[in-house]
Amino acid sequence: MKKQVKVLGPGCAKCKTTYNNVLEAIKQLGIEADVTKIEDIEEMMKYNVLTTPVLMVDDVIKVKGRVADINEIKQLLTA
Amino acid sequence: MEKQTLVKEICPTTTQGWVKNGALLVDVREKDEVAELAYDVPNIINIPLSEFEERFNEIPKDKEVVMVCRSGGRSLRAAGFLVNHGYTNVVNMEHGMIRWATKGFPIKGDTSSVLGNTQNMGCCDTTSDSSQSCCTPTSEKEKVNTNDSGNCDCNKPNCC
Repeated sequence: MKKQVKVLGPGCAKCKTTYNNVLEAIKQLGIEADVTKIEDIEEMMKYNVLTTPVLMVDDVIKVKGRVADINEIKQLLTA
Repeated sequence: MEKQTLVKEICPTTTQGWVKNGALLVDVREKDEVAELAYDVPNIINIPLSEFEERFNEIPKDKEVVMVCRSGGRSLRAAGFLVNHGYTNVVNMEHGMIRWATKGFPIKGDTSSVLGNTQNMGCCDTTSDSSQSCCTPTSEKEKVNTNDSGNCDCNKPNCC
């Protein structure tokens, strides 16, 4: 099934890096996934997020408050 | 920072009125930031954002609470977190310590880390009754300590 990936963050450098790492991980894995970037603060608050960036896979928070690297994201997407 | 409605936001001048009425300030900056420069008000506690999930229940639900930080971003997220956990008397102070210090409100410590890039940021009419004053967020709000893309560049932990 297609993975649903969300990157939450206000648009800072760390959030952009996370988002780009997600795209690269998906590319390297050769899988299809829906990737959504959530920058709206109110939308973020609905997820009860305190520290950003946050990486969610299939609506589960996997990483928060730090940049996830490409290999880590690949593992999360194939788990 | 987008305009949002989950959490009510008040300006530093209005916060002064809340403080006089006994509101509790909750500063979510990290300890080293507070050691350098602190809000000088009677009722204040420091719960760094990095410890917030574990310690938020130290905040009483039956008191009026104003969330504060350096520029208003981290405290807004923390305020939203509290609202999501059933707190109803919580507001966020927009613009944080940067505006608070610029306004000359009570502080303890060295303002050099927050002052500088703070000109033409007035949001409140300081000539009016402080208890009645209220800010309309201005376009300048987003310019506080931001980089070229409009994002916070303070490099503090948990504040990207």
